Amino acid sequence: MSSREPMALIRSIIRNRVNGLTVVGSAHGIDIDLLCGANAVSASQESYVGFEQDFGMAQNYRRGCESGEIEIQDNCCYTLVQQLRASIQGLPFMPIQSVRGTDFKKNHPSYKTIQSPYSGEDILVVPPLTPDVAIIHAQYADVHGNLRIEGPPVVDLLFAQASRTVLATVEKIVANEELKRLGGANIPYFYVSYIAEAPMGAHPTACYPFYAYDREHTELYMSAAKEGSTAFQKKYLKDFVYECESHEEYLHRIGGEDTRVRLSSWKESTDAWMELYKEST
Amino acid sequence: MGKNCTLGELLIDQLARTVEDDTLVFHGFGSPLVQIALHVAKRVYTPNLVLVAGATYGVNPDPPFIAPTTNDWVHDRNSECHLSIGELFDLSASGRLGRMFLSGLQIDRWGNTNVTQLGRKTLKLKLPGGGGACNLSCNAKNITLWTAAHRSEPVKGKRRYRIVSQCDYVTGFGHKNADGITRRQLGYLGNGPQCLVTDLGVFDFDQDGHLQLNALYPHTTVDDVLENTEFEPRMKKEVKTVSLPSLEVLSIIRKLDPLRIHEKELLPGDRSLTLEEPNNAAIC
Repeated sequence: MSSREPMALIRSIIRNRVNGLTVVGSAHGIDIDLLCGANAVSASQESYVGFEQDFGMAQNYRRGCESGEIEIQDNCCYTLVQQLRASIQGLPFMPIQSVRGTDFKKNHPSYKTIQSPYSGEDILVVPPLTPDVAIIHAQYADVHGNLRIEGPPVVDLLFAQASRTVLATVEKIVANEELKRLGGANIPYFYVSYIAEAPMGAHPTACYPFYAYDREHTELYMSAAKEGSTAFQKKYLKDFVYECESHEEYLHRIGGEDTRVRLSSWKESTDAWMELYKEST
Repeated sequence: MGKNCTLGELLIDQLARTVEDDTLVFHGFGSPLVQIALHVAKRVYTPNLVLVAGATYGVNPDPPFIAPTTNDWVHDRNSECHLSIGELFDLSASGRLGRMFLSGLQIDRWGNTNVTQLGRKTLKLKLPGGGGACNLSCNAKNITLWTAAHRSEPVKGKRRYRIVSQCDYVTGFGHKNADGITRRQLGYLGNGPQCLVTDLGVFDFDQDGHLQLNALYPHTTVDDVLENTEFEPRMKKEVKTVSLPSLEVLSIIRKLDPLRIHEKELLPGDRSLTLEEPNNAAIC
């Protein structure tokens, strides 16, 4: 949602005019909404796309779903976890102790009910999920591609293990010795296909300890998104994606060093941290 | 004694009182009322609660303040240890999640919730999605439902009810679905929802699993509930009025949430509401 989303990668995907994507994940926000705003998504298997109570609905995502451009295949967190586990373990399916009775089976014909060979009771099974590509932003990598995620990894570890290709950006590439000193890798290099150093690569989401969530930029994003898809193209995508030929140009457009300093001020004190989330009114 | 509080603070206290001690409890994301309620519960009512924070999966965190997004590191401050996402859901699947809190843009008479879409046959509005609600609704041992938007002002003469007769889409399973299938028939470990805390009152579910009004607030009436509910909820024999939170609870809430993030969940007109202790209040 507001933390460690691979935003630089997503902007690059959009600039390269990639489209027709099926996106899958657990709880997301601006990352998926930006892809939807750029018409890059044709199906969504996310469990949540939104801006929580702060900014509410993800407008580009909602519009895409409601126009029929994006096929709605909402999943739930545990179903996703079990599908990734099936893939990681080389299993043809994974049982799951829930879902039956809800409406999720309706948009997932691949979910089947079978009888337990032991108790005879009904149980739902879900197929393996092997994404073509996983995109991840981490704090650190070493030159070999070992990744170190600090803070909650959420589903990133499972995605890295299950996907055919793993693309990662990181705040900093360091030597392996330094990575070990920092606490070591949590995604081994052989899962990782490509890495690139992209400081502030999660902006406007947070990548602690480097920088906090940029609520101010997110507010600007939301006001453009609320105006409709054409306004969003003109007022956001053009300035912050299409016209930014490089990640450096993006960093310049969001305010350069001043923005970096503002967002890293969270560590100075609780008051400084809270200041970042005060509403501008 | 002149004690007064806001509606948000009252809801937090009511949510906190639904938690049992010595259980593992999880709050999801985008639910600051519940998030704060669990901190209140842990500090006042149920000290042995195992509090697992939504989105960060930190255990027993002690955040310095509440931020506008749930997975901010500030909410992970001083956590004792962490679970992985798989581990939390595994605990629930095996019946070891004591209580979960669920909400929806629609909540129906049987406690089903909808966070997926409005419109039954044709999509009218795509909602953000339920996260893990589908899974947790089935096997969390106990469930508290809540919404801060029970009051539904008519728009162009038409109300979009929050508490509805039947959900357009069942994201989270209640006591039974529209086909009449019950959780017992499905063999689920969880007991389903026991209570619903709204901006108008506190409800429970009767023996049939049907919503029933249990208590009101100092500023709400049975008529408010009837007017803002799509169907007629059943009524407890005696509908009480809840008591306001204690000064201790109020002080914890105010210290933990100086940015008043929890008020974002309330309807705009409810944010400035101040409630006063009525006479003969009963603890609910």
